[in-house]
Amino acid sequence: MVEYPILNNHKQDPKFYSLANGLRVALKQIQTAPIVSSWLWYGIGSRNEVPGKTGLSHWVEHMQFKGTKNFSGQEMENTIARTGGYTNAFTSPDWTAYFQTLPSSALETSLRFEADRMVNSLFDPEEVETERTVILSEREGNENDPQFLLGELVQQAAYQNHPYRNEVLGSKEDLINLSREDLYQHYRNYYQPKNAMVCLAGYFDENQALDLIEKYFGLLPSFPITWSIPEEEEEITAAKNVELLGPEDANFIQIAWRSPKASDPDFFAYTLIESILSGPSSLNMFGSGGIGNRSSRLYRELIENQLAASVNGSLSASIDPGTYTLYITCRGDHSPEDVITKLNQVVDQLLTKPPSQNELDIALKQARANFAYSSDNITNQAFWMGYASSFADYSWFKDYVNRLQAVSVEDILRVSRKYFDPAHRVTGVYRSRNGASYA
Amino acid sequence: MLEQTVAKKALPGSDSIFRQQYPNQTTFLAYPNLTSPAVYFRGYLPVGSVSDPAGKNGLANLNAAMLSTGTDKHNFRQLHEIIESCGASISLSAGSLSTVFSGQCLKEDFSLILELLLEILSQPAYPQNHLERLQQQLATVFRIQAQHTGEMASQAFDRQFYREHPYAHPELGYAHTVKTISTEDLRAFHHNFFGPKGLVLAVSGGIDPQASAHLFDQIFSAWQVPEQQIQKELPPWQPLPQRLREHVPVAEKSQSDLIIGTIAPTGMSEEYQICALGNNILGQFGMMGRIGESVRERSGLAYYAGSTLEVGLGPSAWKIAAGVNPDNLDRAISKILEEINRFIQEPVSQSELSDVKEQALGSLPISLETNAGIVRYLLSLQRYDLSLDYLRELPEVLKSISAEDILTSARRYWDMDRLVIASAGREL
Repeated sequence: MVEYPILNNHKQDPKFYSLANGLRVALKQIQTAPIVSSWLWYGIGSRNEVPGKTGLSHWVEHMQFKGTKNFSGQEMENTIARTGGYTNAFTSPDWTAYFQTLPSSALETSLRFEADRMVNSLFDPEEVETERTVILSEREGNENDPQFLLGELVQQAAYQNHPYRNEVLGSKEDLINLSREDLYQHYRNYYQPKNAMVCLAGYFDENQALDLIEKYFGLLPSFPITWSIPEEEEEITAAKNVELLGPEDANFIQIAWRSPKASDPDFFAYTLIESILSGPSSLNMFGSGGIGNRSSRLYRELIENQLAASVNGSLSASIDPGTYTLYITCRGDHSPEDVITKLNQVVDQLLTKPPSQNELDIALKQARANFAYSSDNITNQAFWMGYASSFADYSWFKDYVNRLQAVSVEDILRVSRKYFDPAHRVTGVYRSRNGASYA
Repeated sequence: MLEQTVAKKALPGSDSIFRQQYPNQTTFLAYPNLTSPAVYFRGYLPVGSVSDPAGKNGLANLNAAMLSTGTDKHNFRQLHEIIESCGASISLSAGSLSTVFSGQCLKEDFSLILELLLEILSQPAYPQNHLERLQQQLATVFRIQAQHTGEMASQAFDRQFYREHPYAHPELGYAHTVKTISTEDLRAFHHNFFGPKGLVLAVSGGIDPQASAHLFDQIFSAWQVPEQQIQKELPPWQPLPQRLREHVPVAEKSQSDLIIGTIAPTGMSEEYQICALGNNILGQFGMMGRIGESVRERSGLAYYAGSTLEVGLGPSAWKIAAGVNPDNLDRAISKILEEINRFIQEPVSQSELSDVKEQALGSLPISLETNAGIVRYLLSLQRYDLSLDYLRELPEVLKSISAEDILTSARRYWDMDRLVIASAGREL
């Protein structure tokens, strides 16, 4: 008889705790493989940066790999690598997160390092200077992509003052001017237990894990944080157009509308609008890809009708009202204006009548499938515990499918009318300097 | 010290991997992950861009894209409405040697998706309007690629590295060849090479392996194509005559991309494992190994700088790649060449070797964290004709590799006078 490994149910809910110093803890046991994914989330991102200091959060993230008074950066990297695990970090507008996915036996190593670099990072001046060129190089790599350049303009136009208008990497000017003291002050202010959350998913003993977290994080102090909290911008104030000329022999379009913050009940209807318009976004950051968008309205109208070469949408769950952005690559035999005209017709339709129940049911099935795919791997499950907690709480993710199922076709019409007003959007066009007539 | 032990039974092996070959020469592999509500699948047919006829470069790739534009039973819209309305996906692409298909679905829809997969592979309609649409889309892709420094460096590398070999051509083809491909070309290609012979499908997820194998048999056993041809054998790769350098000027780019490379061992042989450990030391371990330490950490010259050991049935490359400011290009090349020279002059240290061995062992269960990771492993077993217990045997293989073995192999593959150095970015 064929013998398979024992696979236990992993559908149990995570458990949440809080240490005396304010550190939040989420534990989710998944006993399918001897692996654990260990995350440390900080409630700090480019959203909390002020003009002239953009890029601080991301640069601090880089410096966290450069060593503490107890461990060199290389020692930390190599110790994690030796376990066979992998480590990385992300900086977003709303948060900064560090993670390791590694054999369960190495959990203590992960917690020890994360607790240490929460308070002991060196920010060695020489390392700061080396990293300045690395980050400038990271930005230069992005600048090679015309969609990045256009995206930066569109985001700036989508907000008056809110820091979501800034690229997480920071502006080139700020990256040149930021000092070691700026970085260290940012680190000392925001990196502390009461602004952090440890999330573990995988195979571990819950009591042992709690003991380890208490051992390494329990005595770390929390102190008052000087916050820079931006004022929400509920709407894009007017129809705005931005243009860019470049050497690419193709035209690109980005169109951005305001989206509700993730904790707004309208976010769920908006998610289904995205699915209907440009296809569903994947919930899986670390596994296999998502669902296609060939049955979406925009694919049918723009791609099948041979106006554009590609169309995709992007909607993220965020603390403050965000943006839903369409990314379109025009075909050479049609101008951006042709594409935008057709796109306007599709959006108008969204504003004039609700989708059919069948269309809504398809979007719901897709959401259910995406939710299932999101539990495909342990790293993604740990990610969602922290991510959902950054803008709401875990129930947001747990109830995701149910909340979507409660959306009616009338809700779709109402939310479309609220957010997809053509007088409140940004239209960005990257135009080929060569004229882009390639028929 | 190699003290880390791997629980062998926790790894897929002959007692837990299901593999079955069928009379029509298809092969099915499965591994269960019964807690998963979904199924991930991936497979291939042994025909790829090396079978593109002369002057029709890009045919295999275009064929793969055209397969899902409609079948004899369902037009484009009907097909994708069925697939996407159940939240599933089916993707197709062509590599050098094979046409690859992959996707995922909820387990309740697996039977339906498997039926559609066979329909897509066996009964394409090749609608003329979709061919024109895809040709236009590819024309746009070629224009965008021409301004993409990474893509241009990669193509320059392949041109210099493979020269007369079929791999010198990009799998997408060229703008001037893709536009000449007709539905007749596609039909002839399909008629010649598409059939069950050599088809491999691997699945992992919330389905019982034997039940899914039964389903596969029920659906795919009906596919019979007696006239199906076998792809011709690849010509041998010719060693580099000297150090070859190509730079592709791409104007107005902030960053240049750089690739330096040599030949890699073929397949997943024991020598491949020796080189894989060496490669890990050279450009992967920790923050991109010795290359990352030299080019990024110490010099701050690049955001990324590391090495890759490709694996394939045909010739493949051992590459070092970096993205650098154009002003730093020559300096980055010098730093990388210094590291290659060191790699072939002296054995790696015992601590470096110990590090990468421990990593290789520890990473075994982690590489199988996802259904997609498991399926890729199952396909490697089949493609490289490996034992189903390959992963369980690997620790012993790794344990036996010495620093001298790595030095010997490094010297066999890296020759400072026979390298390709390719780059793209601001004019030199």
